[in-house]
Amino acid sequence: MFWRQVKSLTLANMKARYRKTFAGLVWVVMNPIIMYSVQSFVFRKFLKLEIDNYSLFLLGGLLPWIFIVSTLDMCTPVLRNSGELLKAFKVNPLVIVLSQLLDNLFNFLLAFFILLVPFIIFSMKDFVGMLFLPVAFLQMVVGVCGMAWLLALLNVFYRDTKFVVQFFTSVFFFLTPIFYPVEFVPDKYRWAVEINPLYSMIAPFRCCLYNFELHKFLFWLAKGSLFSFIFIYLSYFYWSRKRNEFYHCL
Amino acid sequence: MNSTIAFDPILVVKDLHIRFDIDYYRQSNSLRDVFVKVIKSPIETLFKKKECLHIINNASLQMSRGDRLGILGVNGAGKTTLCRCIAGMLMPASGTIEVYGEIRSVFNALVGINPELTGRENANLLAQFFFPNENNKEIESIVKDALEFSELGGFVDTPFMTYSKGMQARLSLSIISAKKCDLLILDEVFDGADEFFQKKISERVLRMIHDSGAVMFVSHSPEQIRLACNRCVVIKNSAIAFDGSVEDGIDFYHKR
Repeated sequence: MFWRQVKSLTLANMKARYRKTFAGLVWVVMNPIIMYSVQSFVFRKFLKLEIDNYSLFLLGGLLPWIFIVSTLDMCTPVLRNSGELLKAFKVNPLVIVLSQLLDNLFNFLLAFFILLVPFIIFSMKDFVGMLFLPVAFLQMVVGVCGMAWLLALLNVFYRDTKFVVQFFTSVFFFLTPIFYPVEFVPDKYRWAVEINPLYSMIAPFRCCLYNFELHKFLFWLAKGSLFSFIFIYLSYFYWSRKRNEFYHCL
Repeated sequence: MNSTIAFDPILVVKDLHIRFDIDYYRQSNSLRDVFVKVIKSPIETLFKKKECLHIINNASLQMSRGDRLGILGVNGAGKTTLCRCIAGMLMPASGTIEVYGEIRSVFNALVGINPELTGRENANLLAQFFFPNENNKEIESIVKDALEFSELGGFVDTPFMTYSKGMQARLSLSIISAKKCDLLILDEVFDGADEFFQKKISERVLRMIHDSGAVMFVSHSPEQIRLACNRCVVIKNSAIAFDGSVEDGIDFYHKR
């Protein structure tokens, strides 16, 4: 029942979003592909980063990053914007947040596999990590869901939330080892990476694609899952504490 | 006419108490406000006991099949809050709510799920939200029946956002009343519809109630309560101050 509503709303959002556009889905899917291609080119050719198979390395970090950031960006204002609907009849607000997330997830998956296929055909040698990709992927989606749900709720009470999210995601793009390896971070700043939840969610994903090592993967997966659990718990706790006020503030 | 509440109860509310954190009523909430408050008086902010606004106090109510309960009260009396709590949207601070059967509630009939989609598509989505237990075939037949009843004609395939208030109300009310349920909550939902459709939809809702269930109407209009209800409740000073016949309830409401 819950998932049927999520599915219907996701399809409705997609239909509404692309209805009056010339090539709606193409724009949305091309955006991460172009971002990835440009960054890969610039960092390899201009900055000459000496990282083996940099394109694959960047794919494992940048694409999940774009997915996380765009999902948080889309989901943060969604409950406030759906205030009329939420007050009109009983709709689980999580249905609305999840439908946005799944809409974005579909775009991400499409872009990711378009970019991944050439690597699988031409340059990837070790496919063991690929077997663990669904697990890493699931952990990331659950974590993003917790974050998105929490931020969407906070934005109902504190309207600054969406600006804070935009600010932090811009800053964290440089502070998170997305386009550079974690080894580049000096030891004295390494703690900052250790407590960065976004990196913990992305790291298992990258690990599956690039230099897979089981013990490393399991370590990051456990850490990412811990952060995911914390976000889910915090959002559930906040929702149950502020449920009445939520409807008033919408 | 009072119903026979001893038999076949649909709703039993006991000692219901609903409250809100008062901060959200008094002040604008922004991170800046919170920051200033914490800097100005950190100890008071951290250890201050939260003040609460008590919207409903010790409310008890029973409804049984056939009850058409009108709820009257001045603005801010807590009518909608009570109904939202019964619908499961709000959490009571204390007390119990027992609903025996399926409950459906509408607090604004002028809302489409996605205004950019057509009336037909919105009707389909509304039906999925209102009748989550029905299969796709059943949903299809509900939508077909509701669209015919709404008499929107060719407009059903135009975007919902282009609809007038009356047309929006027609579409939503047609879907809501398409299938019987055990307890239906309607909160000032007839206001958008024109007089002709109000009469038509009232007849349909009354027919639905006749088939099964009970209904709670919230309205400021004693005329609508007279037309649709057989029992009346008046909410005053955060409590149910009157529970009885429609005419007595309307008199009580006017005397305040």
